[in-house]
Amino acid sequence: MPRVAIVGAGMTKFVRRAQETAKELAWEAASMALESCEMTLDDIDCVVLGSAPDAFDAVHMKSEYLSDGAGAWGKPYIRCYVGGGTGVFAVIQGWYHVASGVFDTCLVVCEEKMSSCMPHPQGAFLTIFDHTTERPLGPNLLWIFALEMNAYMNRYGLRKEDIAYVTVKNRRNAADHPCALLGDPNITVQDVLNSEVLAWPVQRLDVSPISDGAVAIVLAAEHVARRVTNKPVWIEGVGWALDTAYWTNRDLSYPVYVEEAARMAYKMAGIKEPRKEIHIVEPYDPFDYKELHHLEGLLLADRGKAPEDAARGRFDRDKESEPDWLPSSPSGGLLGVGNPIAAAGLMKVAEIFWQLRGEAGKRQVPGNPKRGLAQAWGDLMQVGTVVILGI
Amino acid sequence: MATLEKVERITEIKAWRGEIPLYGRYTVGIAGERFFREIKDNARIMGTKCPLCGILYVPARLYCERCFSKLEEWVEVPPRGEVHTFTILHLDLEENHLEKPQILAFVKLEGADGGLVHYLGEVEPEEVYIGMRVEAVFRPKEERRGEITDIKYFRPIGGVATPLGVD
Ligand SMILES: [Zn+2]
Repeated sequence: MPRVAIVGAGMTKFVRRAQETAKELAWEAASMALESCEMTLDDIDCVVLGSAPDAFDAVHMKSEYLSDGAGAWGKPYIRCYVGGGTGVFAVIQGWYHVASGVFDTCLVVCEEKMSSCMPHPQGAFLTIFDHTTERPLGPNLLWIFALEMNAYMNRYGLRKEDIAYVTVKNRRNAADHPCALLGDPNITVQDVLNSEVLAWPVQRLDVSPISDGAVAIVLAAEHVARRVTNKPVWIEGVGWALDTAYWTNRDLSYPVYVEEAARMAYKMAGIKEPRKEIHIVEPYDPFDYKELHHLEGLLLADRGKAPEDAARGRFDRDKESEPDWLPSSPSGGLLGVGNPIAAAGLMKVAEIFWQLRGEAGKRQVPGNPKRGLAQAWGDLMQVGTVVILGI
Repeated sequence: MATLEKVERITEIKAWRGEIPLYGRYTVGIAGERFFREIKDNARIMGTKCPLCGILYVPARLYCERCFSKLEEWVEVPPRGEVHTFTILHLDLEENHLEKPQILAFVKLEGADGGLVHYLGEVEPEEVYIGMRVEAVFRPKEERRGEITDIKYFRPIGGVATPLGVD
């Protein structure tokens, strides 16, 4: 199977409300990705687009709508969509286009413009619930998170302040990201604990913001990658898995589907001891507890122990001296950079790409990391998607 | 009632109504901002030209979809062209019969690649033909809001004529 590398990446700022159309956002990110590796559309064999529900951009058939901004004119083109898992899954889909040997290069573009969705994206989230057994109750997305977070806290006797530290870490990290919406170098755990209660135990600052933005990367088969760059970042493993869509039939305190996706990716990458062999990680963090949940599912923390690991600084960007140090969400994550759904997932992959190349600027993790993992999660919270990158 | 059994009356089976409670708010974008301002303020139709491909995009776009160049050369396009194809509408969206059928046309604009879909006015359905020369009729300035409907319709240039070569 041909090896596939990421050779370029680009992203727009993540903002609350973009003036650009969704197409223009996609074009901006895609152009930046191409420019970053001195390629043009002529060098691209196929295009993969990731974007979350059509409703967010208030456009039906977003794949068709976004195609020209994604650079798909006259090329084989496909859209993928697995809810919040989309941004990482788009990379997997791009990977198998190239790994199959059919294409030498693939442009992967993810875009979301949630500000188009009025009066609020919750109106779209409402209809992901079962129309007969749940929608008559008037659910919003926070319900699931609140129930899941409470189950997780209760199972292991977790403290809210330990979980809240994830928001603090990520918003502080994001202060060094030029594209971030919510960077804040001075935020404290107390700020999170004092924020408005939305649906107990979820408070305002436990949650990432809705945002507009786009991210793109360029994939290339080995023979092209080596010609294009002297710093290819290889896709060493990919994994994805689904649990049941009946969320009431799942163990909400542990994301088994993330573990299954991770195991698939570790196996492909030949990784036996993830905690030693993964040097940086970008787990999906739409809520602070989700980053911890996912670190456990990725087998990078013991079950129920990720919160105290976080609190002692194990996941900080610069605490090299911490035992089992593992910088997590060095970008600032969804909590800090922003959460334009599919674009946010791809941002995590782009961050690992920049970190491994030593191009993360003020966010650069010390110690020359050689291998990193990006993960996303979504649909009705039962999809896990994982990509492992290495140099 | 078995699976796949035909339902004669929908009211006889258990069902409930729900809707997706959403509406959209669309920005016109970076290129659209100028394109629609020109229509509103100056009753002008503007395109942008790709320096590499030579394509003149109307309505104006920010980038060329073929080569990804940023498009910065703005070109005024005459508000006229010819009917590339058309249809006569007899029903509205609720399938009610229209009292007066409407003519919807794809108008290729002079000098541009592409054009606009719009209504035709000041012409009867039986008079329209493919290739008919038409021009945009703008609403009065005080009524224009920077929208595509600031163009009321396209109408035949110099009134209705017989197509060339046809009696
Ligand atoms: Zn061009």
